Amino acid sequence: MAEMKNKENLKGMFATWVILTVVGVAIGIWGPARLMPRSMSDNMHLTILTMVVFTVAAAPVAAGVYAVTLHALRHWVHKGDNVPAPAAEQTRENATLTASWLIASTVLTVFLLIWGLGALAVDNGSAGRNPLVVDVTGQQWLWTFSYPGSNVQSPTLVLPEGRTVDFHITALDVTHGFWIANMGVQVDANVGTTTQIHTTPTALGQFDIRCTQFCGLNHAFMVTTGDVVTKAQFNSWLASQSQKA
Amino acid sequence: MTSTLEHAAHTSAPEGGGLARRQNFLTAMIGGVVFAWLGWFLAHHFLDSSSRNFSDLVTTSLTIGWIFGFWLGIGALNGPGRWLIGADHTRADDLYYAGENQGRARYWKYCTDHKVVGVQYIVMTAVLLGAGGILAMAIRTELIVPGNHFVNQQVYNGFVAVHGMLMILALIVAVAGPWANFVVPIMCGARDMAFPRLNALSLWTLVGAAGLLLSVLAVGSLTMGWVVLAPIADQAGVGMDFFAMSIIVFTVSTTVAGVNTICTVMTMRTKGMTLARLPIFVWASVIAAALGLYAFPYFSLVEAQTLLDRNFNTSFFVAGGGGTGWLQANLFWLMGHPEVYVILLPAVGALFEIASVMSRKPVFSYRTAIAGMTGLAGLSILVWAHHMFTTGWAPTLGGPFMLTTELISIPTGLFFLVIIGTMWRGNVWMKLPTIWLFGFIFNFIIAGITGIYLSDIPIDNQLHGTMFVTAHFHYVFVGSVLFGAIAALAFWYPKVTGRFLDETMGRISFWLAFIGVQVTFLAMFVSGLRGMPRRYSSYSLIFEHTNFITTIGAYMIMAGMLVLLGAVVRSWSHGEPAGPNPWHANSLEWLVPTPPPLENFDVLPVITEDPYNYREELVRS
Repeated sequence: MAEMKNKENLKGMFATWVILTVVGVAIGIWGPARLMPRSMSDNMHLTILTMVVFTVAAAPVAAGVYAVTLHALRHWVHKGDNVPAPAAEQTRENATLTASWLIASTVLTVFLLIWGLGALAVDNGSAGRNPLVVDVTGQQWLWTFSYPGSNVQSPTLVLPEGRTVDFHITALDVTHGFWIANMGVQVDANVGTTTQIHTTPTALGQFDIRCTQFCGLNHAFMVTTGDVVTKAQFNSWLASQSQKA
Repeated sequence: MTSTLEHAAHTSAPEGGGLARRQNFLTAMIGGVVFAWLGWFLAHHFLDSSSRNFSDLVTTSLTIGWIFGFWLGIGALNGPGRWLIGADHTRADDLYYAGENQGRARYWKYCTDHKVVGVQYIVMTAVLLGAGGILAMAIRTELIVPGNHFVNQQVYNGFVAVHGMLMILALIVAVAGPWANFVVPIMCGARDMAFPRLNALSLWTLVGAAGLLLSVLAVGSLTMGWVVLAPIADQAGVGMDFFAMSIIVFTVSTTVAGVNTICTVMTMRTKGMTLARLPIFVWASVIAAALGLYAFPYFSLVEAQTLLDRNFNTSFFVAGGGGTGWLQANLFWLMGHPEVYVILLPAVGALFEIASVMSRKPVFSYRTAIAGMTGLAGLSILVWAHHMFTTGWAPTLGGPFMLTTELISIPTGLFFLVIIGTMWRGNVWMKLPTIWLFGFIFNFIIAGITGIYLSDIPIDNQLHGTMFVTAHFHYVFVGSVLFGAIAALAFWYPKVTGRFLDETMGRISFWLAFIGVQVTFLAMFVSGLRGMPRRYSSYSLIFEHTNFITTIGAYMIMAGMLVLLGAVVRSWSHGEPAGPNPWHANSLEWLVPTPPPLENFDVLPVITEDPYNYREELVRS
């Protein structure tokens, strides 16, 4: 009889696990693209896809822990001021369970790792034969963008669609964090060193650049905007800026 | 129960003994202020005031004076001083310092009794959490709407830095301070810690460090986050010198405490208390203490170098002078990541203990629990550069650090196996400690999974430096560690006071804190996902709603903590009497009277099995 009851209980636990997993997977598929800024680069596509994959992979694990916990709250708790009797099974070890748990978590971790290393390799891949180089300079509390090969210096960033951009980033006073929230690229601007990161804009439109490294009094206001335009628009913009300068 | 010591006490005269018998917190404050003034006076009058380091040198001299005077005033130097002049403490002196027959006065003194130190740590934790919590409320109030309305940016930035460091210090001591001191020696079957005077030293040094840290707010504050990155630390005023010195002093406290915990467990266990029979909380305390001994020297090193840069232009971290800010970041995070587990492990160990006692079942897979904690401690020293993925430092090491970081989820997963395995088909007694344990399980899953996102470099390149990171580590520190610390408090409170922590108020505080954590930090995750960077004193309109929700949630957490504080204070004298063993547990701290007498045991017990055999209860209360 007790056996029967336990089996029934575990069915409920299993059902809870399935439901919670479905909820987790749904959040994983629905959430990232809607909660995160509009993707405007190949890096950002990959970031959002990775968020989806990781959430979907984590959902059954989290759901499993929550299902057992909810089950414990429903069936295994003892209320009142008197001490409960010792549990019927005084289990100290279960080698099979421990080994399965270890193997499952290792497999999952290795999967996430392989995915992550693959995505990293894609992000870090070659910038191609003809990237557009943009020099980025951070100082308290503004950004300056210059385009080598021209004499253009601009407080806002203009990028052509579809051409890989290689940012060369440095700082004049303290460390700043160069981050394009729509493009999934972020690297610090350091004094005396140049850091690099590259991405390929894939969508037209405006984006924000925010400082992500604490840089003093007006850190919160070290914000500028950028614009992804067509190649033709970009070339004419660059030419017009050169003439002004 | 009469301890052997009380018999011995008749032969000594606790009265008299001169000035050393009158030292307490007040004389420590007086000593600290007088010597701080002396440090200021000497530096101010004898140093070259035209030097560009003048204000830093004067401040450093002042802070050294403070801590020296504080030690002198509390009596920390009496023992070594007596030893130096060849007149070591007598038995009567030792009993005096153990607080014999001194009632409540001993809580204000340099008391060597580990149980007094434990209670002093409870109070210290509450003070640090309270101060950090007030700053958190100020920060959230500033962020309730866009724009700077409540405090200006300079003040806000200082609040962010001091809030962060106060809370880190508070959580480092929140479980290890009270319970590794109060219960670990008794759990081992020891009469006190291995080094009782060092125990008092660790506590009072922490008080001195907290004084320095709080002074930061009064001397122009800081202009950066708690990590105080170079080179921006150079732009800070003298608040930075107070901050750096408070950290150096704090690491003295943790080092002394860590050595003491390890030595106590290694050398003071009673007969039959083999390593395999130790309560799991003792293992957690030792592993955390050992990890702290590895990690905190980096902390004092990095702050000492900052002080040297500021005082003597050594330019360790100054790019123009041959240094680099990346060196500071590396040293800081070599400390900073292990430190997270110094904070987490004691809480997890306490929760293992609570899960077992409350479920009336042994800790599931005791050896797995130890392996998980050891594995986590070992891995944690190899992952520091994941805090630096976006700094631009050594991009080729990104892959290896991603590997070590993601491996962390394996030992962390074992903690869930142990807790769930322990509760599996148990008779889980729903009392206050259990409720906070359930809260911990819920929050720690969210903390863990969001950590996996951040360990992945393509995701970190998007989310690093945003509110997503802030929300992640608040799920770790508030949702998990603080919940664990409160569970531990509710669990051992009856042993300290003889009374239960008020169940009703405790539950009200739980629900306020639990819902508050979800409201605050889930909304903060959304702020981060939508693109709001950390440490912003103001923000654009697209972050308006989530920030408003976060602030409301933060107020709920504060309300919960105030109710808890009320419960702790009220139950101390008016709570329901609990008896010596209210949870019917078998570890040694429950088998001594409540409150435990000076030196704990009349006759040292002999141990024949571990404390997790609930079929044969040793003592029914």
